[in-house]
Amino acid sequence: MHTHIKQRIESIITNLDQLPSIPDVASTILNMINDPDVSFKRVAEEISKDQAITTNILKLCNSAFFSKGKEISSIDRAIVTLGLKEIKDIVIIAVTKAILNKEIIGYDLAKGDLWIHGIAVAVLSKKISLMKNRKDISDIVFTGSIIHDVGKTVLALYVQRTFKDIIEMVESEGIPFQEAEREIMGFDHQEIGEKILMKWNFPDILKAMVRFHHEPDMAPDEFKPAVSIVHIANIICLMAGIGIGSDGLYHELNSAALTTLNFSDQELEALYSEIPDTMNQVKEIT
Amino acid sequence: MQTFISIGVAQMGISANPAIMRTILGSCIGICIYDRIKKIGGMAHILLPNEIKKGTPEKYADTAIPLLVDRMLKKGCNREFMSAKIAGGATMFRFQSNLMLGQIGERNIIETKRVLEKAGIPLVAEDIGGNTGRVIDFFLEDGRLKIKAAGQERMLYKV
Repeated sequence: MHTHIKQRIESIITNLDQLPSIPDVASTILNMINDPDVSFKRVAEEISKDQAITTNILKLCNSAFFSKGKEISSIDRAIVTLGLKEIKDIVIIAVTKAILNKEIIGYDLAKGDLWIHGIAVAVLSKKISLMKNRKDISDIVFTGSIIHDVGKTVLALYVQRTFKDIIEMVESEGIPFQEAEREIMGFDHQEIGEKILMKWNFPDILKAMVRFHHEPDMAPDEFKPAVSIVHIANIICLMAGIGIGSDGLYHELNSAALTTLNFSDQELEALYSEIPDTMNQVKEIT
Repeated sequence: MQTFISIGVAQMGISANPAIMRTILGSCIGICIYDRIKKIGGMAHILLPNEIKKGTPEKYADTAIPLLVDRMLKKGCNREFMSAKIAGGATMFRFQSNLMLGQIGERNIIETKRVLEKAGIPLVAEDIGGNTGRVIDFFLEDGRLKIKAAGQERMLYKV
């Protein structure tokens, strides 16, 4: 254990200023979506307060992935045409890109790698939820997948400083990478990600996806299906090399996640073999 | 200025000196074939060992390798001066042994070697297996292959 690094990280997560920020509109929208009385007009007003985000959102609304065919030129129109849940996904993409679309040292990810990885996991998670008749959580797993590794953006610097010790422990003790992160630095990227989402005021289900994406069996029961979907999508993307970094494939495919979703071997391999199609969809968004 | 060519999952490319071709691998395999006289190189990034669905030959070792060799020959390469290097085929850590998905890296390695041999392209160097991801850079200047894995770099020079 590197005590001074643990103390450094502790001070970062207790002093919220040092964690990444996103515009308030994100949590406002996320919480509005869960409110059955919310009016389209109020959501549109909330989004339109931020000009830069509005421009980005309209661009995404007209991308091949989200577009319903008709050109959309206002937020009002976008909500009516695409629906609130899609708009929420689009808002999350628009506000998190600045944080995720950069070089992540330590994990050896070039600029764009972590961002594309998140979107790829998101597209795949949505696909899995539809395949497993869980349309009810298809949008929330999309959102959670985009940000599942957000903790890496904060932890990267410390992983870089302790990488030799982490990888040595992984090899000698046969434990997954995030477990060695905890042993060496006191925290893993999932825990830091959860802290970031607390700062952002995001709902519990998203916190669970970020906190337990490598250990879905530890998630609260009510969130297990959603967390398991993100877990499996993440593993498949990593195997295909999408967003694979210095932590490589030192992760575990959790068998409880397969049981939770009733996954067969053939289904897993089919998803892996369809990665090129998934990546074509990812290109439409990124 | 050297051209930098990025090869995605289930894609292939052929280029000539002075380009550098790059791909990022997990359980997939990067197959790099080089003609040392023409200084032409071809790279394929295969996802699975055997074709299960027609229409995307670049995705499978058994269809991508003959296609890549064929395209290189059409560009004027000579089989006599061509050799291959391969990288990738990593396995997910602590995989349950009964899962097919856990064996994809290993299956990819076996099939890639078999098909290269069948195509008559000698395999001169490899960096395969393990649990690490790999970023590989294929330099068409001299056919060398740089491999970055788990924070370390190594070079395969043999052509």
